[in-house]
Amino acid sequence: MSENLVQKRKKVTSLITQLIDCPTGEKVKIIRVQAGHHAKRRLANLGIIPGVDIIKKQAAPFRGPVEIIVKGSLLVIGRGLASRIIVMLDNSK
Amino acid sequence: MKIKKFKDKSKQKSEDNKGRINIALAGNANIGKSVIFNQLTGLSQTIGNWPGKTVEKMEGYLNFLGYRFNIVDLPGIYSLSTYSLEEIISREYIVSEEVDVIINVIDATNLERNLFFTFQLLELKIPMILAINQMDILRKRNLDLDFKKLEEIFKLPVIPVIAVHGTGVHQLLEEAIELVVYHKPSLHYVQGGKRMHEQLTHCYTKPNQDSKPKNEFQFPDLSSLLSYGKEVETRIKELVKNIDKYSNYFSKFHYPSRFLAIKILENDEELEKLFRINQETIYILELADKYRNELEQLHGEDISTIISSEIYTDIHKIIEQVLIVKSHGELKTNWAEKIDHLTTHSIWGYAILILILIGIYLFTFLIGGFLGGIIEDSFDRLSTSIYNIYPEDNLGVKILWEGAVGGIFGAISGVLVYVIPFFLIIEILQDSGYLPRAAYLMDRFMHSIGVHGKTIIPMILGFGCNVPACTGCRIMETEREKKISIALTSLIPCAAVMTVVLGLVGRYAGVVWVLILFAINFIVIIITGKILNRILPGECTELIMEMHEYRVPNYSVILTQTWVRTKEFIYKAMPIIIISGAFLELLFMFRLLDPVNLLISPITVFWLGLPAVTGIFLIYGILRKELTLVLLALLANSMGTNLSGLLTPFQMIIFSLVTMLYIPCFATIVIIAKETNWKFALKISLLEIGMALLIGGVINWGYIFFTSI
Repeated sequence: MSENLVQKRKKVTSLITQLIDCPTGEKVKIIRVQAGHHAKRRLANLGIIPGVDIIKKQAAPFRGPVEIIVKGSLLVIGRGLASRIIVMLDNSK
Repeated sequence: MKIKKFKDKSKQKSEDNKGRINIALAGNANIGKSVIFNQLTGLSQTIGNWPGKTVEKMEGYLNFLGYRFNIVDLPGIYSLSTYSLEEIISREYIVSEEVDVIINVIDATNLERNLFFTFQLLELKIPMILAINQMDILRKRNLDLDFKKLEEIFKLPVIPVIAVHGTGVHQLLEEAIELVVYHKPSLHYVQGGKRMHEQLTHCYTKPNQDSKPKNEFQFPDLSSLLSYGKEVETRIKELVKNIDKYSNYFSKFHYPSRFLAIKILENDEELEKLFRINQETIYILELADKYRNELEQLHGEDISTIISSEIYTDIHKIIEQVLIVKSHGELKTNWAEKIDHLTTHSIWGYAILILILIGIYLFTFLIGGFLGGIIEDSFDRLSTSIYNIYPEDNLGVKILWEGAVGGIFGAISGVLVYVIPFFLIIEILQDSGYLPRAAYLMDRFMHSIGVHGKTIIPMILGFGCNVPACTGCRIMETEREKKISIALTSLIPCAAVMTVVLGLVGRYAGVVWVLILFAINFIVIIITGKILNRILPGECTELIMEMHEYRVPNYSVILTQTWVRTKEFIYKAMPIIIISGAFLELLFMFRLLDPVNLLISPITVFWLGLPAVTGIFLIYGILRKELTLVLLALLANSMGTNLSGLLTPFQMIIFSLVTMLYIPCFATIVIIAKETNWKFALKISLLEIGMALLIGGVINWGYIFFTSI
């Protein structure tokens, strides 16, 4: 029983990742935004809030910014900022 | 100071305000706001600056139904916080006495994001009309909106608009009359059931009724709509209560107390200042700090996240009520998506970017060069006929003709003809939606020189002409990024520099050297970026940018914009260019610059290894960089030889290199000074002169050193 729980937790933690690391084309849920006050307010205004589903569309080559679909519109977010957005992959797969 | 200004305006307003309605167009970027603005105001548009700020202010007017509508197109923004200067300016303007009614343009295909801004506008309690644009695109996707429901929810007029066809655009003005003159929102869907024009017939029959101050308009009670949850609301109410104690003081700033309360709760630096100026109100900030901490403890989230997610939850509920799904049609990949895919591709994207750069250069250069040639020819022909009538040594005629008229002709053929095609091409690139893609591709690289990807936009434009490109640096969010962008943009080789490099080095020293010169130029740009990144205080911010879909550019918007921008350029920049040009022309005519040749010969002859006469050409080149080549060719002609008889290929390389880098042209310096200040313009000029001399000298002496061993 407890082993099961540990395994389950492991599974969950492996599903949690930075936005820059998650695979493209997949729907993910925002868990946390660890940016500074200003950037956080800006992102929140644009709908990047914990609990919201986003799709990572693509990442620019040479470790460039990340393009996401949030609330029906395309947003480009600098890589540094994208690394501070923590998301969870859809675990149904 | 600020308070006084407001008072003066309100006094003036009550006197001459008969039949005048002031509208502010507000909304997100790239949703067709400019198309609506264009439909309404046409060629009456003017571009100015917001007082004391470098953000553009687009204004226009039209007469309709006996009223004069003054319309201001606010910058496209997503929120009314303090993220950019544009947001601060917009909210200050909206609450000022100057605005009678807001038209909030909303993109039907992106309701969630757009309604977020609507929610913020509603807090300002200014009469407002919701214009839902791009209804045609929404309907193509087999979706529709329930306008009756929308009006029930917002208790304000909600109008479907298809801006590109002009559908619904003038109805917005009728609604504006309703709100401002008759002080009531005409909610036809709610009251009468059917939205028809006849309900507004009184607009037609009773024109020119005195418009009354907007405060007679009862802003609908939207407290149930604009509710941020119990915990937040009780604290906002407490803050409002405290703010209202000083209503005498706060009423000067025109913000509703609830708006102030929300903003200080959100830690809004600008509005907190209003509380700090007055000793008695500082305690309210402390109260807000306390509440913020409590809320953040309670929710485990940042305050802006709490409020934003409350708003987005409300919006989500609204959309569920108003969005009508007709049938789930299959979504085809359309051409816009294909182009998007191609232009952001890791290989094709960059190839297309380079092609577009070449395209901008060719376009401005070919059209500008062609028109400039015609104008110069006609000036020369006129000169000959003038000197046939008057003897050539008639000084009065000479000064008048070559100084004054020549200055005007020179400014037109040397600057204006390049600026016009350039405006045209940027408008096309901007309207189609390409530029953010370039920013996306180049963000990583731009970070290494201290700015984010958006800087690439004015830099791309710099390939055509540095002058308007430096103006384009306004898009940067912070002052620091704007300064760096301007410095980098002024170093981009423009069409004129390209002429010199190709005409000298390309022709006599080979293409390889052209490429080497460009490489040097880009290394200089990178170094400049790195230096400025170090010395300017602050940090590089991260890119957060919306990428809207590609669309076919709207030709009428493009043409009007090109015209309006050209007009602004003629009024603001041309006089300075003409006067200084004429002045230099006079100095040249009286050979007053000849001693200068001698003076700077240590630099030109000794350090750079160039003939002494080039000194004056380089000075002349400050005015127009391609003049360095033109004058060289003239000199060679008069000596009965060609360019290769005048300069060795190596000297040509040095000469071109110096021309490329040594200083922004005069028009660019003027614009830099206007966008920042003269001190910064001077600093950039000195920095560039220093670098050009350093690199030119090092190459020259390196060459001498290596050939001597």
